[in-house]
Amino acid sequence: MLRHRSKLMGQINGMLMFLPYLVVLVMFAIVPIVMAFRVSLGPSRLYPEGGFGNYLFVFEDFRFLSAVGNVSLFLLIYLPAMLIVVAVLSLLLDTVQMKYTLPLRLAYLVPAGISGSVAILVWYFMLEPTYSPFAGIFAEIGLTEGVQIFNTTNLVYIFAIMAFFTGAGNWIVIQYGSLQSIPQDILEAARMDGANVFQQAFLIKLPLIRKYLVYMLILVFASGLQIFVEPYLISSSVYPGLAKDWSLNQLSYTLAFTGSNLGAAMALSMVMLLVSVIVALVIIYRTDFFDEARGKMKEKTIG
Amino acid sequence: MGKSLTARKRPQRVPLTTVKAVSGKAVAWFIMILFAVFSVIPMLWLILAPSKTQVELQRSAPLSFGSFQGYSDAWNNLMVFQDGRIVDWIINSIWYTGVQVLVACTIAILAGYALSATRLPLRKTMLIATLVAMIVPQVAFVLPLFVEISALGIYNTAWAIILPGTFYPFGVFLSYIYFSTTIPSELYEAAKIDGCGDWGTFFRVAVPLSGGLIGMLAFFSFQVNWINFFLPFVVVSSGDVLTLPVGLGILFSSTPALSPQVGANALPIRAPEIALAGMLVAIPILIVFLFSARLLVRGVLAGSVKG
Repeated sequence: MLRHRSKLMGQINGMLMFLPYLVVLVMFAIVPIVMAFRVSLGPSRLYPEGGFGNYLFVFEDFRFLSAVGNVSLFLLIYLPAMLIVVAVLSLLLDTVQMKYTLPLRLAYLVPAGISGSVAILVWYFMLEPTYSPFAGIFAEIGLTEGVQIFNTTNLVYIFAIMAFFTGAGNWIVIQYGSLQSIPQDILEAARMDGANVFQQAFLIKLPLIRKYLVYMLILVFASGLQIFVEPYLISSSVYPGLAKDWSLNQLSYTLAFTGSNLGAAMALSMVMLLVSVIVALVIIYRTDFFDEARGKMKEKTIG
Repeated sequence: MGKSLTARKRPQRVPLTTVKAVSGKAVAWFIMILFAVFSVIPMLWLILAPSKTQVELQRSAPLSFGSFQGYSDAWNNLMVFQDGRIVDWIINSIWYTGVQVLVACTIAILAGYALSATRLPLRKTMLIATLVAMIVPQVAFVLPLFVEISALGIYNTAWAIILPGTFYPFGVFLSYIYFSTTIPSELYEAAKIDGCGDWGTFFRVAVPLSGGLIGMLAFFSFQVNWINFFLPFVVVSSGDVLTLPVGLGILFSSTPALSPQVGANALPIRAPEIALAGMLVAIPILIVFLFSARLLVRGVLAGSVKG
């Protein structure tokens, strides 16, 4: 009887502690999705009867395919660059003595301060030959005018550079942290078996942090898909119209605020959200990244 | 036989590997230092740029220092824009982010503790929902949030920016992991035996032991909210409610700093002024990052790799 009461109390207390979070979860994740979904199915000028017409409208919009192309190309450049540089630099950091690398690790964290609108500002100046510290290098390869750098063919590389520098340093330091926690005896055993530095790095360490690299890639993919601020700001200031409706989120924004087609905007948002949720479910159920978290949960439920 | 073979090989191999190791180390250091240099140059430029005049910026060496007078000149020129609008943006950014960090972290710690140490019903479902929300980027919710915020009637208010920022699933996940791995469950049991209820255990055992966790939660929530662009940009339209990063975007498009085509309006806001505004956004993040470097290195994933 007493035990039953304490169990009930435990449930009530747990719920009370969880309640504030549950409220914001419902208010700022579930409700907006439900509302946006309803708007996306609602009547619009082109489809007065509502239904999936808005989705059809988006898919048939010529800007949709080109935005998909742009964002895909962006991801194709950005993702491998992140993977290679983060893996190589964190492994390099891990092969030399820890105490000497502190200034390097701090330096790698510096670009994290340059993100969002600041990234556009800084990278504009870094790439504009009149101001750039790299102007000498640009001149060597024949780039002396801003328009030679800021043009539609180069946009995807420019956005990839911005995104890469904002995130790479962070991830190098994080992956280095996970490399540091590889037990010494494993590496000792590898050394005794005659593994050299390269073999240790690629055959022992890399496989051990593989899942964190995969996790990073998936997160980077999910956020890269949503790219907005970089193309939007370039297009609305420095070079007007240069990257108009370049990304999917820009198109969604345009549909909502200048095309006054909120239904279609929400349809596009829903599609992108669906992709993100699928990505999330893949990480949770198809990789072993959260196994430990879920495993704990199981233990608890049984016990 | 085998012994003599290795004995013969050794004198040749040792110097060879040493040479290889030394040159390998040199290459490693070269790559690491080069990447560090590239990491630091943009920030260095951003900090130095406001010290110079527009002409100096274009003529003198890119990473040279102008004068301290340059900063105050740039600031005075920035104040010309809409009668000191930049001050509103700075104040807004500070108090919005302050409230968000405080509320988001409190909610996250409570929820993480509830998930890990109490008999919360539907625990597994809640954890999965949190994981999904954590992986889906916040940006994906922005346009749907716009619909909700308009319906709630808080469009163009501070709350439209602040409230969504208190949803912090990553914080809940970090707290959950922390309370279920770092703090041994025997401690909770002991507290219960000593007569602490769930709340007592939370306040007297869990919270006092979570200094590192709280630091990490505050760090990530500050970073995300301070720099957020898309949400404030979409849910607020008046200049006096906006935040510094969005204000910076407004400066891009309505001054001649980056847009020569608006040159006619004769605002004194050019490259040094806009660099100063950018610096004001970047420096707080930089400071917080450098101070939290230890947490970042040890935290998040550390201790999670097992052989």
